[in-house]
Amino acid sequence: MLSSMRKCLSFRRFLVLESYSSSSLHRHQCFSPLYILPSPFIHEASRAPDLSATVASAHRVFCSRSSIIDDAQGPAAIDYRSILEEDEFHCVADATINDLQEKLEEYGDSIQIDGFDIDYANQVLTLKLGNSGTYVLNKQTPNRQIWLSSPVSGPSRFDWDRSGQSWIYRRTKANLIQLLEIELEQLCGKPISLS
Amino acid sequence: MLRAGCRKFLGLVPQQNNQAPVLVRLYHERVVDHYNNPRNVGSFDKNDPTVGTGLVGAPACGDVMKLQIKVDEETGKITDACFKTFGCGSAIASSSVATEWIKGKQMEEVVTIKNTEIAKHLSLPPVKLHCSMLAEDAIKAAVKDYEAKRAKTEANAAAEPTERVANA
Repeated sequence: MLSSMRKCLSFRRFLVLESYSSSSLHRHQCFSPLYILPSPFIHEASRAPDLSATVASAHRVFCSRSSIIDDAQGPAAIDYRSILEEDEFHCVADATINDLQEKLEEYGDSIQIDGFDIDYANQVLTLKLGNSGTYVLNKQTPNRQIWLSSPVSGPSRFDWDRSGQSWIYRRTKANLIQLLEIELEQLCGKPISLS
Repeated sequence: MLRAGCRKFLGLVPQQNNQAPVLVRLYHERVVDHYNNPRNVGSFDKNDPTVGTGLVGAPACGDVMKLQIKVDEETGKITDACFKTFGCGSAIASSSVATEWIKGKQMEEVVTIKNTEIAKHLSLPPVKLHCSMLAEDAIKAAVKDYEAKRAKTEANAAAEPTERVANA
């Protein structure tokens, strides 16, 4: 039942798109619903002539082409593959997340918070702080980013800064480690060193 | 069947037998509402000078949003908005809410819409906050696109007289 439910939901998702694939977007050759929807509804998608475009090109990031990009404000069109190789990204990101997990576990042992829980499953680090909220940290490989969801500062996306050897959120120039240290001290009352 | 299945999945059907209480709802009602009845789905002509198009996200990440606005040139007010989103229920709901909120507002006003407001309105769980951020980005991108287009047409209009002089 669940699998048919998923298929139904995928179909719904596709309905919202309608003829998305045949719009002017397809000239970018990035968007390939065939890749995303492994469903019996593929024949619907074949309306657009171009869907045999390779999956590899689906990794490019979409951005409004004609805008004068103000990095601090809006999304940036960057080819992330040229910035950081995937292997290096995994290496650095995994090291960061594992390190954080260990330190947060020790921290959890030393403070008394109801409902404190750390879980690292499927490459997603979930930190529950009871009533103070939940942090979710995960790798976003296509963008070479670490994504954080914080109950204090909301969602942020950190890029690896080689020169500073740290994860930085471009829009606010925030440093991942420092952000977590500040927020955790604020929420739990006890300072923590995560570096 | 789809609706009945959805309801069961979401735990909205009262239990028929004497088993333990029904499981926790996975999506907030508002998200389900926007998913089942999305507002303002569609597209405008990209080449229309009064239309701004914001396209954000990446298929590889699983989320792509296209949000378009139709602007009244004289007042700078957004007269119409539509969207097309590829992604999870939360992403669809976030962009649907975004189009609802920006209709009838000034461009300067809509860029102040924060992802936290969208997330709060839809009671998005922590993992889905990124969807609301994408919706905020889509609004900003659409406004930027419109302004860039306008700047371009104004620049072209200014350039024309000089070209004519050169040809004379």
